[in-house]
Amino acid sequence: MSTATASAALPVAEDDRPSIWERLRIGRIVANLALLLIVAIWTFPTVGLLVSSVRDADQLAISGWWTSLTSSTTPGAGRLASSSDQIEEDGIYVITGDIFESAGNLTLSAVGTTSRDPGAFGVGEAVPMNQGGELVVDETGAYRWTSDTPFEHTNTPRIYYVASEPPVFTLDNYYRVLTSAGVGQSFLNSLTVAIPATVIPILIAAFAAYALAWMRFPGRGILVAVIVGLLVVPLQTSLIPILRLYNGIAVNFDGQAQGYLGVWLAHTAFGLPLAIFLLRNYMVGLPREIMESARMDGATHFQIFTTMVLPLSFPALASFAIFQFLWVWNDLLVALIFLGSQNDQMVLTGRLVNLLGSRGNNWELLTAGAFISMIVPLIVFFSLQRYFVRGLLAGSVKGG
Amino acid sequence: MHKTLLAGVSALALSLTATSAFAQDIVRGEGDFSWDSLDAFEAEYGDVSGEITLWSPWNNPGDAAQFQAVVDFFEEATGVTVQVGSSPTYEEQARIDIAAGSPANITILPQPGLLADFAEQGALTDLGAEATDWLENNYAAGESWAALGQFAGEDGEVRQYAFPFKLEVKSLVWYSPDNFDEMGYEIPETMEALLELQEQIKADGGTPWCIGLESGGATGWPATDWIEDIMLRTQSPEAYDQWVTNELPFNSPEVVNAIEIFGSIVKDDANVAGGTAAVATTAFGDSPAGLFTIPPQCYLHRQASFIPSFFPEGSEAGVDYDFFYMPPYESEPDLGRPVLGSGTLVSITRDAEGARAFLEYIKTPIAHEIWMAQENSNFLTAYGEANPDTYSSDQLRQQGEILLEATTFRFDGSDMMPGAIGAGAFWSGMVDFVNGLSAQDAADQIQAAWDQL
Amino acid sequence: MFEQVLNAILAVVVALAAAGAYFWGSNWLLDKFLHSDNGMSPHVSVRRDRLRTGIRPWLFLLPALLFLSIYLVYPVFETVRLSLYNRNGSVFLGLSNYFWAFGDAHFRQSLLNNFFWLLIVPAMSTAIGLIIAVLADRLWWGNIAKSLIFMPMAISFVGASVIWRFIYAYRGPDQPQIGVLNAIVTGMGLPPQNWITMVPLNSFLLMVILIWIQTGFAMVILSAALRGIPEETLEAARLDGANEVQIFFTIMIPQITGTLIVVWTTITIVVLKVFDIVFAMTNGEFQTQVLANLMYSWMFRSGDFGRGSTVAVIILLAVLPIMIWNIRNASREQGAR
Repeated sequence: MSTATASAALPVAEDDRPSIWERLRIGRIVANLALLLIVAIWTFPTVGLLVSSVRDADQLAISGWWTSLTSSTTPGAGRLASSSDQIEEDGIYVITGDIFESAGNLTLSAVGTTSRDPGAFGVGEAVPMNQGGELVVDETGAYRWTSDTPFEHTNTPRIYYVASEPPVFTLDNYYRVLTSAGVGQSFLNSLTVAIPATVIPILIAAFAAYALAWMRFPGRGILVAVIVGLLVVPLQTSLIPILRLYNGIAVNFDGQAQGYLGVWLAHTAFGLPLAIFLLRNYMVGLPREIMESARMDGATHFQIFTTMVLPLSFPALASFAIFQFLWVWNDLLVALIFLGSQNDQMVLTGRLVNLLGSRGNNWELLTAGAFISMIVPLIVFFSLQRYFVRGLLAGSVKGG
Repeated sequence: MHKTLLAGVSALALSLTATSAFAQDIVRGEGDFSWDSLDAFEAEYGDVSGEITLWSPWNNPGDAAQFQAVVDFFEEATGVTVQVGSSPTYEEQARIDIAAGSPANITILPQPGLLADFAEQGALTDLGAEATDWLENNYAAGESWAALGQFAGEDGEVRQYAFPFKLEVKSLVWYSPDNFDEMGYEIPETMEALLELQEQIKADGGTPWCIGLESGGATGWPATDWIEDIMLRTQSPEAYDQWVTNELPFNSPEVVNAIEIFGSIVKDDANVAGGTAAVATTAFGDSPAGLFTIPPQCYLHRQASFIPSFFPEGSEAGVDYDFFYMPPYESEPDLGRPVLGSGTLVSITRDAEGARAFLEYIKTPIAHEIWMAQENSNFLTAYGEANPDTYSSDQLRQQGEILLEATTFRFDGSDMMPGAIGAGAFWSGMVDFVNGLSAQDAADQIQAAWDQL
Repeated sequence: MFEQVLNAILAVVVALAAAGAYFWGSNWLLDKFLHSDNGMSPHVSVRRDRLRTGIRPWLFLLPALLFLSIYLVYPVFETVRLSLYNRNGSVFLGLSNYFWAFGDAHFRQSLLNNFFWLLIVPAMSTAIGLIIAVLADRLWWGNIAKSLIFMPMAISFVGASVIWRFIYAYRGPDQPQIGVLNAIVTGMGLPPQNWITMVPLNSFLLMVILIWIQTGFAMVILSAALRGIPEETLEAARLDGANEVQIFFTIMIPQITGTLIVVWTTITIVVLKVFDIVFAMTNGEFQTQVLANLMYSWMFRSGDFGRGSTVAVIILLAVLPIMIWNIRNASREQGAR
């Protein structure tokens, strides 16, 4: 494309102005670097989210995701056995055990008797204990607590340590967020909302767009203007009146004001202006001759529409469908109000906001939840990017 | 256990949602329960049938399952089917449903202010004078509990429109006994001693408090609890009541003083984990995690009786954490031992025979005991007939005692203020205050919002 | 669990069948009852023909018009009406909600914030989008770069908020920072900051999220427009010895002014409706409130339909100039056809 342009210009520059060679090469390097930097900044946040979502929750809480490949050193605590576990060896009373109890793969580097200073003593060093005697701990967490006099403590004293752990990657976060945090249910809810809300408007919009593009009738110009105007009406204005309307209907039929049907219809309506606008713009561009020859042959508008226009408009229909799907999937407000916030009804965006509110520091859940919410739109996006871009262009460049 | 202590911050368990079996098996006729009260109830209301809907604030799986157990016994004793509904934004929902004229038969809400709105719109059903009498005679500090559910109706007449059920103690300070032992700290018996302890902790190089105000759409509410607790410890109960109704303006010296006392704690970087800057953006549920980290990020956390649900997974009451009553000032002996609490109020929003029967049911001791006995329950009651032996833990029993011993009991003030204040201007005013606004300016700002109602 | 998805698919089938039945059926009825054939008197036949062509467009349009009028047109009027009433629509207040709004500190704050959003986000997104479009079109890996920069368009505002909250995350000075921004700051030896609470920087940090999302949009549109510039024009300029920067400012920009304006207005509309980001990041605390979130708060938190509607009407008024401009543009285009 334009790369070709640049090289085509080169021979001209070559003969009498060699400095342009230099300029271009430097320019090329600068352009490469600048774009690389921008791309890095743009993708960095998402990469951070992805990496964090597969890190171990404990490690995630204490170190930045960019350190995820190095082992992390963290303080911790375990409990020592009570005096009932002591044995006597040659007049010395001994309690042995493992500070780590069960967790694997930790390497102990220091121990302490207070939470304030968990690393006061090194490995192998004798730690004087309040309960009497001395405690020695090795790297694996095995301890040996000895005393000349019998132990008498009945509780299980706390012992603090500093241990390092190699990087741990896990899909546990996904499992937890899908099951216990309700994200799995919300995923299904989002699908339930999005599929009908994407499909229903298409046919309705296509017929209307055809009428506005190829049929002559009084008031057509005004209707087109109204639809362009409705494109920008903030849907905030619709919320209360529609909810009241729904409630009014629900009272009469003794049903629920909130539910999937209401959301589908609302999304259908909110998506219609864009759908009609996009499809009309596309249909207007279809070759007039085909239509007219079909008319000559006696085809009705209905036949022309169903047998010719609809199949020809497939690219525009596809781009609208992608638009609408992304918009519905990513919507928060409409679902919040028309679907309600019952636990079993919440869509993914609503669930994420709730998690942010109540689990704002549980990044392992938030990152995993956010990634789950992104997966479907990203697949749609990357696989159908061509149509998406085409739709954007049809919707916007036309106006200029 | 140690694995979760490794980094308490991240280990915050989904204990609310993770535990699978909530409803403890309670078998009719067994245990310390007052089964005879259920028998008597059944004898009178066993013939009632039909279906009723019930809208509750208990939307997390734990509370919901525990409440369901209470409902189950009601359904069994009568022939009524109960549809229980809830949502995290239950207030907004209740408001919308009532505005649209399609409320549930029974609406349970923790905000008297909201119910007062509904009563004024004529949306609540009068429970009658006998409900007032019953509360006054059977609940400890019964008159204040009864008054809590009394609102002016459409005609301006004050009636008993709501019935308090499931109470909560807010004046609690949580701590880690291990950390207290290690540092040799004592449980403070007076506010002065508590503030001394705060200084002591700082002198020892620690940080006294963990405070978090973030709560999604309700960010700021934990600070309003602080102000209310301080108001009760510096002003008479009457002044507190006047404050709640704005007879005592929000920007009067009494209130500004309380805000400033809170400020003397929260606005000192050395007093709060992460410094003052972190307070407004730390989630209230995450904030107590600092008690359990190594080394501890803080030693004290003031929060209501529900907060153990947010402690790290596997934390054991009395071992890993404990609480003490937020003490009164020694210098204010006249104020006694004030307790700040909250509770949920049961009201009838669409009259039905089954709804009336449900209100009779929650007057039986058994309705209280079933919830008290649930594992991980945080149900407290002021009903003297309910057997305290059925509380599922000593912790809960002690909290129940605090409730019964209170010389002054006051309800969460912000919940009783009009919604735009108690669930709006007060919250955001406190957030602004913590982020640098002066106490006077914050109070002026809240009062200005009140003037505009 | 999956039953509900099956139900949704069933709903799709039912809806498509219903729509198909309507369009087909109504057309069939029209043709049947208003048919014209040779046996009729020419007078009747012509009248019927005219009637049929007059009715048919409306049959095509009817469902769409129904949806639009119920869900978008009627609510505009209803919202205006509600804004003149008290909290539950029972007492007529005249314009006093509007007087309240302009006297209210939070409202003025939101208005001011919205103004800054309008000023900064469209301009920044368009500018960065243009730069990327220019750079990417001349590099072999430009398409990959564009794809990556375009990607945030697919992410919900809420998802994006989670991503950026993680970047702005704050821990006390004595703890390890897990937010990138604070890690950089502490790495330079400065104390960590709780970015979200820092007025007025925090509003700008929220805007960054929307810029991050919208830049891809601007880039795609502008890239297409740039490709529409005739090669000869650029070639001629190069031969005249103009450097790339000069070409950019004197040739490219004037050629795509129309597209720039379209991109700018489209993003402006998005900004005016911005709700999710503020709702998820700060919920309007720390002086970051914007109109759309303020409306939600009055409507559903305080239960004041009057004031909530008032804020909605004001958003609508702000959109109005763009709406009129759009309509005039579209009609001009239609006239040209």
